[in-house]
Amino acid sequence: MRLLIILTLGCAALAGMALRIYAEDDNEFKFEESEVEKKPFSIGGYVELFPSLYIADLKSALFRLKYYQNNPGSPYADAYLRLQPELTFEKGIFKAFARAYEAFGYSNRRWPFDLRLYEGYASLKPNQHVVIDAGKKTLKWGKGYAWNPVAFVDRPKNPDDPELAYEGYTVATADFIASFTGPLKTLSFTPVVVPVYKGINENFGGAGHWYFAGKLYLLFFDTDIDFLFFTGLENNYRLGIDVSRNITTNLEVHGEFAYLPGITKLSLGTTGMARKRKINAIAALGGIRYLTEIETTVIIEYYHNASGMSVSEMRSYYFLINEAYYTYRATLKELPFRAAEALTEGAYGRFTPMKNYLYLRVSQKEPFDILYFTPALTVMFNIDDLSFSLTPELLYTGVNNLELRFRYAFLWGGRNSEFGEKPADHRWDLRARYYF
Amino acid sequence: MKRLLMVFILLFFTAGYAGEEEPDRLLREIDRNLNPESYESYRKIINIEPDGRKKEYVLFSLKKGVDKLIALFLAPASDKGRSTLRLGDNMWLYVPNVGKPIRITSLQSVIGGVFNNADILALDYSAEYKVEKLEIKGGEYLLHLKARNRSVAYDRIRLRAEKQRKIPVRIDCLTEKNMLIKTLNFKNIKDFTGGIVRPSVIETVSPLYKGYRSIMIFSKIKKRSVGDEVFTLTFMPRVDSLR
Repeated sequence: MRLLIILTLGCAALAGMALRIYAEDDNEFKFEESEVEKKPFSIGGYVELFPSLYIADLKSALFRLKYYQNNPGSPYADAYLRLQPELTFEKGIFKAFARAYEAFGYSNRRWPFDLRLYEGYASLKPNQHVVIDAGKKTLKWGKGYAWNPVAFVDRPKNPDDPELAYEGYTVATADFIASFTGPLKTLSFTPVVVPVYKGINENFGGAGHWYFAGKLYLLFFDTDIDFLFFTGLENNYRLGIDVSRNITTNLEVHGEFAYLPGITKLSLGTTGMARKRKINAIAALGGIRYLTEIETTVIIEYYHNASGMSVSEMRSYYFLINEAYYTYRATLKELPFRAAEALTEGAYGRFTPMKNYLYLRVSQKEPFDILYFTPALTVMFNIDDLSFSLTPELLYTGVNNLELRFRYAFLWGGRNSEFGEKPADHRWDLRARYYF
Repeated sequence: MKRLLMVFILLFFTAGYAGEEEPDRLLREIDRNLNPESYESYRKIINIEPDGRKKEYVLFSLKKGVDKLIALFLAPASDKGRSTLRLGDNMWLYVPNVGKPIRITSLQSVIGGVFNNADILALDYSAEYKVEKLEIKGGEYLLHLKARNRSVAYDRIRLRAEKQRKIPVRIDCLTEKNMLIKTLNFKNIKDFTGGIVRPSVIETVSPLYKGYRSIMIFSKIKKRSVGDEVFTLTFMPRVDSLR
């Protein structure tokens, strides 16, 4: 019933907006100068309705972990109404920007509400060579589509929906830009300072410490090249490089490489005991983006994360959850779940926690002459345990400022495999997003 | 006799050279009559579907020299803040949510419809094409253009221009085998001040998109030169600060 209320409210709002779009006056060749007049203050963003339906895998470890107290059964559904407003103020060399995120919905007899500031920073641009920013900001380093191993100062993005905005860290940063003629066309340097104090970037690292990072960008012989570094607590440092280049007009290649010495890895051994180790790791990504003559875009990426979990470490994690579940069923004691929950908040809970992945996305622009219609198919394949997710999607953007996306996801894998232990085997979701 | 032969050979080659240069110079003149070499402009692109439905985009653009162009989407709200950059044959698209520029190709279209990226981020025709043949038909020039290299969006172009004002009237974009890809019709000549008098509307149709039309309307064009730093990936999220 409550789910129906959310859906009805959301549909009514979106239908109202769509009707307003069709009611707009239209003049074929009219273009007034007032339409491009710049105002110091502007507001934008989107509101979206996002209902989902799941066929659960009731025996999967992550279903048990998520719903051991409150089993929704199968199938189950949830729905969210999300708002992502953006405010900009710009006057002379000064600019202020804020992007917030609010989600309100119904999920498994609960009404979750989430409100957070994704970005909020002030910017000074004294000239075209220098820009200084301070505040909460996402930097989005790297060239990869689904993963970015060199994004040292960002939260990991969701490879299941890589184009979503996400929350940034509070930083002070600047861009110094220079342009040249010759093979080196552009050179820019971006230093970043990340302070960690109580209430500021608390989950980034040790409190009371400052971290430093930087990116040197070159457009050299028509190739984008970034050299990246990160340093901070106890000689902890990271180095990275990324490249991107169009080999032909319809083929782009890109890659990222990160060297991560002395990182701490917390995992479960074969005995089920948690162990903390310092390791020197690398993370790398290689990919292509190819456009065919009939406007099919193919993205292929291979991702390797040496600090990711092995098959046996994942098996121990699922075993821990299942043991906690059986104990809970027998005794109603929740304590055994605490260890599993703590591990899930760390590296085990990452979007793609294991070592080797393949990503494939094929999208066809406007097939059968249907303008603004883009079907796509995305496959994420875990090379280590041979499990995968397969996600066909339909996207329609033909109505001004309204974007409709329908997706079905099929997750397959054996017991103790990553996609085999996800809470659901099948998922359908609709995203109706209105931009304002 | 030998001297006469030398003069004849010299005249022959000089005449041939002048004959090749003049059409290319004419093409450069046509380019300059369309836009100053470095300028800013405001454009609206309207995609019209066979049933009359429309989708409109408003862009702010800056061009510098022969190979640098950057454009910022001002409308609709779903595309606001997107920017596209062209440096010679390199093209990138910046989407605010994605947060970083990605490489795109000239044949794609960031807006859908009949205009592709090469049309939206058009450089001078003389920078990308050489004149193969020049004809004069009544009050019009007809220039047969061939792409200078394979990275250009269209292999061949037939450009018809008013003889008197040297302003394009119609452009046919063709494949290497002379198959028509699209036609651009230039309309509504307008005085944009600053000595810029040019068509303010470009209408595009394509046999590949039967029933669909795309229209580009110019509101402002004026000479403006900005630093080369503007035409960089790092600057793409900040193009709006130049308005």
